[in-house]
Amino acid sequence: MVVLRAGLCPGLTEEMIQVLRANSVRTVVDFVSSDLEDVSQKCSLSYKALVAVRRVLLAQFSAFPANGADLYEELKSSTAILPTGSPSLDQLLDSGLYTGEVTELMGTPGSGKTQVCLSIAASVSLGLKQHVLFLDSTGGFTASRLYQMLRAQAEDEEEQLEALQRIQVARVFDVYEMLSALQEVRDRLSQQAVSCTGPLKTVVIDSVSAVIHPLLGGRQSEGLAIMMQLARELKMLAKEFSLAVVVTNQVTRDSSTGLLKPALGRSWSFVPSTRVLLESKGAAWEEATTRRSASLAKSPRQVRLLPGLHLCDGEVTRTWAQSRGRLPMG
Amino acid sequence: TCAAFSLLARLEGRSSLKNLEPCLFAEEGSPVHGDVIEFHGPEGTGKTEMLYHLVARCIIPKSGGGLEVEVMFIDTDYHFDMLRLVTILEHRLVQSTEEMIKQCLGRLFLVNCSSSTQLLLTLYSLENMFCTHPSLCLLIVDSISAFYWIDRSNGGESLNLQEMNLKKCANFLEKLVREHHLALFATTQTIMQKSTSSAESFFPLKLQHEFDTDYRPYLCKSWQQMVTHRIFFSKQFNSGNSKGFTVVSCHLKKNNVVKRSFSIAECGVQF
Repeated sequence: MVVLRAGLCPGLTEEMIQVLRANSVRTVVDFVSSDLEDVSQKCSLSYKALVAVRRVLLAQFSAFPANGADLYEELKSSTAILPTGSPSLDQLLDSGLYTGEVTELMGTPGSGKTQVCLSIAASVSLGLKQHVLFLDSTGGFTASRLYQMLRAQAEDEEEQLEALQRIQVARVFDVYEMLSALQEVRDRLSQQAVSCTGPLKTVVIDSVSAVIHPLLGGRQSEGLAIMMQLARELKMLAKEFSLAVVVTNQVTRDSSTGLLKPALGRSWSFVPSTRVLLESKGAAWEEATTRRSASLAKSPRQVRLLPGLHLCDGEVTRTWAQSRGRLPMG
Repeated sequence: TCAAFSLLARLEGRSSLKNLEPCLFAEEGSPVHGDVIEFHGPEGTGKTEMLYHLVARCIIPKSGGGLEVEVMFIDTDYHFDMLRLVTILEHRLVQSTEEMIKQCLGRLFLVNCSSSTQLLLTLYSLENMFCTHPSLCLLIVDSISAFYWIDRSNGGESLNLQEMNLKKCANFLEKLVREHHLALFATTQTIMQKSTSSAESFFPLKLQHEFDTDYRPYLCKSWQQMVTHRIFFSKQFNSGNSKGFTVVSCHLKKNNVVKRSFSIAECGVQF
């Protein structure tokens, strides 16, 4: 709700504001939705001047439509597919993590969500030499485990160290800290000249349920409002800066179908584009024999094996357009 | 002059909307200009896929079996997947060259809104576009319920304040649809638990065993009252049914109801 004030746009003077306010026109919305002929008469203001102000206000505060063809052209080359570090998971995800989307990993405690997150961080940092932001809200991030993964993939110590340096970890204990960390990323990325070729391509959040769950159930709408605000931030970040955003979430059992579904309720369920269910079979303490399985619960694409796209560790990022044969491999 | 010119041009494009997707409607000849169609359903039930299907039907040229009209798509939760739409077009065009695809996409306009206030102001500024684009006859809002919790929280204790923005949006949408002879498709998400009382059900008791929906109205009255068709989406869980999704389509003024199944393939929705 933007309140009208002098200087908000050219042509909007203090005297105008006073007289408008006296006639109950206080906000931008009030102004834009009023009958300007009516306002012109009541306030003795020039109709032409009012129309000019209205045009400028709309240009300033409304969103501009983009043409589909232009948008497609932009997306063709800026959408990339990032390897997760596990070829079979990549296959499940139709080649890997897509930038511009929010991907959710859901599972019970111990199902391997944090492991997959670490693997993604290692894979993107080491294999693609790109930066990763890791927001840890559970305390589950262990640098030693990450280092182990890097050492398994690269022999050169310098390479391992460089990879570690490209992973930025922030510990966030509540939703406000998380929102603030995301805002910081947004500010940083906005300042870069050409954002889609900047080094940060991945944001991993482990976990989203840890900071949201405490907010739900009490004064219903406030908690849900904050959750939707976080959802909005994540999706905007993914879309505007071509990032792959990965979030982890708990699971609950649906009372009517008996199937596992993501926690955080119905409103959250609409947020991620892709959802993977992680399960671990075998006893948790028998590390050596624990088998992990991943199944696709939601995807915007029909999952099909694209021939010749089996990504191995260290594979160069393919853009979506290249994988579809619409741009030559470069 | 704007109204007269667009009326003439739109009357020409008006009849072609009848062939948009007959399977979605309970009676023949739908939709027509002035119709407001609401897609309602939980997550994963095919609402957005259905929208892509309708967009493809619109933007594909007449030579390719489409309607060759322009579409305005308002995305309120950064949900729109352009690459998915392109895949659908690739499957539906006989000649799916880059040129053809871009020609089709040139008939689509997309806009992202991040708050109900921005949605309202954007609608005001889009008004001009409807005047200058006479073949723009389909307006899509996905979804119109996206700001529900945030607005509710911002409105404090007053229901009036909570619903104020959406009410204004609904009223202005009605004006746009009426003055520029559009058809409006809007999605609303099922975010509330279904009411357990059968008296509160959307369908009268005698129809409830046949048509059951997870519907509990929560958006403002201004919106509820302008909807002419409500289509409920649901997903089948039994694997025996090859068509995984169902729509229950209701014509609110004529009280017609019809139930149909569809599946979603690489090429999009198939009835």
